[in-house]
Amino acid sequence: MWAMLDTGQKVSAVGHVGFLAVAIFGGTFNADPLPFQVTEVTAISAEEYAALFEAEPSPEAVANVDTPEPPEAGQAPDLSATVDTDVAQAIPEQSAQSEPDATPEVVQPAPVEAEVSDEAPVLQPPSEDVAVLVPEIADEARPEDAPRVAPETIAQPEPDVLIDDVDQAATTEDDTAEQVEEAQEETAREAASERIVTEADDAAPARSLRPQARPTRPSEPAEAEETQTADSDNDAVEDAIAAALGGTDETSQAAPSGPPLTSGEKDALRVAVQQCWNVGSLSTDALNTTVIVAVSMLEDGRPNTGSIRMLSASGGSGAAASQAFEAARRAIIRCGANGFPLPVEKYGQWRDIEITFNPENMRIR
Amino acid sequence: MIRLFMCLCLAVAVLASPLRAQEGPLRIEITEGVIEPLPYAVPSFVPGNAAASELSANIARVIASDLNGTGLFRQIPDAAHISRITSFASPVQFSDWKAINAQALIVGAVDVDATGRVTVRFRLFDVFAGQELGQGLQLVGTTDGWRRIAHKVADQVYSRLTGESGYFDSRVVFVSETGPKGSRQKRLAIMDYDGANVTYLTDADALVLAPRFSPLGNKVLYTSYETGEPRIYELEVGSARRRPLESQAGTMSFAPRFAPDGRSLVYSLSQSGNTDLFRMDLGTGRSDRLTSAPSIETAPSFSPDGGQIVFESDRSGTPQIYVMPAAGGEARRISFGQGRYGTPVWSPRGDLIAFTKQSKGRFHIGVMRTDGSEERLLTASFLDEGPTWAPNGRVIMFTRETQGEQGSSNLYSVDITGRNLRQVATSTGASDPAWSPLQE
Repeated sequence: MWAMLDTGQKVSAVGHVGFLAVAIFGGTFNADPLPFQVTEVTAISAEEYAALFEAEPSPEAVANVDTPEPPEAGQAPDLSATVDTDVAQAIPEQSAQSEPDATPEVVQPAPVEAEVSDEAPVLQPPSEDVAVLVPEIADEARPEDAPRVAPETIAQPEPDVLIDDVDQAATTEDDTAEQVEEAQEETAREAASERIVTEADDAAPARSLRPQARPTRPSEPAEAEETQTADSDNDAVEDAIAAALGGTDETSQAAPSGPPLTSGEKDALRVAVQQCWNVGSLSTDALNTTVIVAVSMLEDGRPNTGSIRMLSASGGSGAAASQAFEAARRAIIRCGANGFPLPVEKYGQWRDIEITFNPENMRIR
Repeated sequence: MIRLFMCLCLAVAVLASPLRAQEGPLRIEITEGVIEPLPYAVPSFVPGNAAASELSANIARVIASDLNGTGLFRQIPDAAHISRITSFASPVQFSDWKAINAQALIVGAVDVDATGRVTVRFRLFDVFAGQELGQGLQLVGTTDGWRRIAHKVADQVYSRLTGESGYFDSRVVFVSETGPKGSRQKRLAIMDYDGANVTYLTDADALVLAPRFSPLGNKVLYTSYETGEPRIYELEVGSARRRPLESQAGTMSFAPRFAPDGRSLVYSLSQSGNTDLFRMDLGTGRSDRLTSAPSIETAPSFSPDGGQIVFESDRSGTPQIYVMPAAGGEARRISFGQGRYGTPVWSPRGDLIAFTKQSKGRFHIGVMRTDGSEERLLTASFLDEGPTWAPNGRVIMFTRETQGEQGSSNLYSVDITGRNLRQVATSTGASDPAWSPLQE
């Protein structure tokens, strides 16, 4: 059949077959390009770079530093001369000795004297020279431009006006509606801008932010504060003495402190106890008894053996409850002899533990 | 506004929930433990005089044997002891016993006076709690009865540690077997539960079967072939005197068992080829029929309260277990598993029924609830049969016969959990055990 075709038909057939092959299998060989990240870099000239910093003087601490003069082009070491030297390394000449950075003056506060006065200290307002490490807050917070486009430009809402989904008419004193409606706060339409502000539009700052000069320390702390500090120190000493004498802080005892134990930490405690909970010698009645045992823990993870007590028992007789409690107590004491694996920083969470010993899974089946 | 408030409430609830869960003490629940023998130490009791030195060591040895035999306790050998108990009154150094992981400590003393009177004192300590379990106890007996004293101490220890009554101060009546399998001689014998102090109650002239203790342990019912036909007898353990209880001509009586009050018994009577259950008043000798069926009813056993009787019957075509009122009446079948069931025995606790089961060519000892539920097979062998309960309902003793011409019968015990299967030491072959109640 192929022989019956003339040259033009053969060329046409080969061409069609090739086109179809490329159309069908061409996508197979075109692998997706590997993902890559493009970072746009803007090249600026040295003049532009210098212009960025001309408007703002450098901090004082930086101004005190003598910058070394750049070496002249003729002072550059002759690299060709050093090729033949075996080991000698070209030691560049030190330029002019640069002065050390200006060490900021550190004003040592006067030592606090533990003077205790009977009069209550009076706090004086800090002087205006005292630096306050709080962020500067503008008089009026300016809401940010909303990154959305509205069909019409909406005026910026007044500060402290809530944005609601539904527009509410502003209530006025002239409203004389007969129906008494529930008073609602005035709300404004959600702010919108005329165009979408992208990150590229406001990413380039007008100038680089420079660190501000370190604020000078207050020369003399207020004496009133010292008096108060001394007084509070005195209270702390009294508290320490009280604690040493056995007194405890009620607030610290009442609520557990520190983050709660994770499930993994609880599981570790559970496993540690259960590997010593031997029910092999318990009666069948005791194996039907669930006991809840309370124990107070020492900070090193060991149980206070004298604090182990049965809170409740269910499912068996009194004798069975006693047997079940003794087995539970043995488990706590035995496996807690070297301390349970509990995080000491969470001691407040496991100072007191209630353990339910439920032998349901250990019964004879 | 409302949505904002609801979202705020939801956020507060979500954030506060873990904090609220941590309020108060830390709470955990333990649902899995370990099942292993409880390690204990029982140093030789302190002898009060030279005459008591050997006895003090023997008593400690028997106590240890009793406790070890339960499978619930593990003795820490004396060589591992750090402390030595040299005085019964001296305080216990708990740290020394903790160091060897002894969770219980038994300390005792033995005194023997000139008349042979033995005084044994003991205390039991929970080592890790650092306190005494119960109060110290003093037992008095004779030098001949030192084993019973030891058993009683072991019973006390067992009871205080497990919460169940012990079973060591008990006896077992059984059939002692001697001679080859084809011409075996069988005698009634009685022994301590651990195989010691064997005493024969009958001679080997007649075949004897299935002895059963009275509730007080002072009498034994059994079946004898001394007349050529099986007949039931009552025997006084102390004097070995016996009397036939059923002597109707042309009948066979067997499988007797006392009622819990000891004033009547239930047994099987075979007349004209039919076997039914009867109840006999031991005071009057009068018997009342309990069943009337063309099938074979046998192996009756009272419930502990005496209100019901469990027995074996083939009325359904194969031997199965049934329960009926003690005065007779409609019986209900409680065994529905595959195989043949027989020799049911009600537990002294009343919660379980032990039985023999034949299935797929093997014999089993098993237990089930009194309604037939929760059937559990505890053993499996060529031939296991005839279970009997320990006084505390925790252990079952039975007969195991080995296969072949040289096969023999022996006694075995097993915990109702199926653990701690062990052979009971007997000087001869043994079968048909019956456990006595605890001795007074």
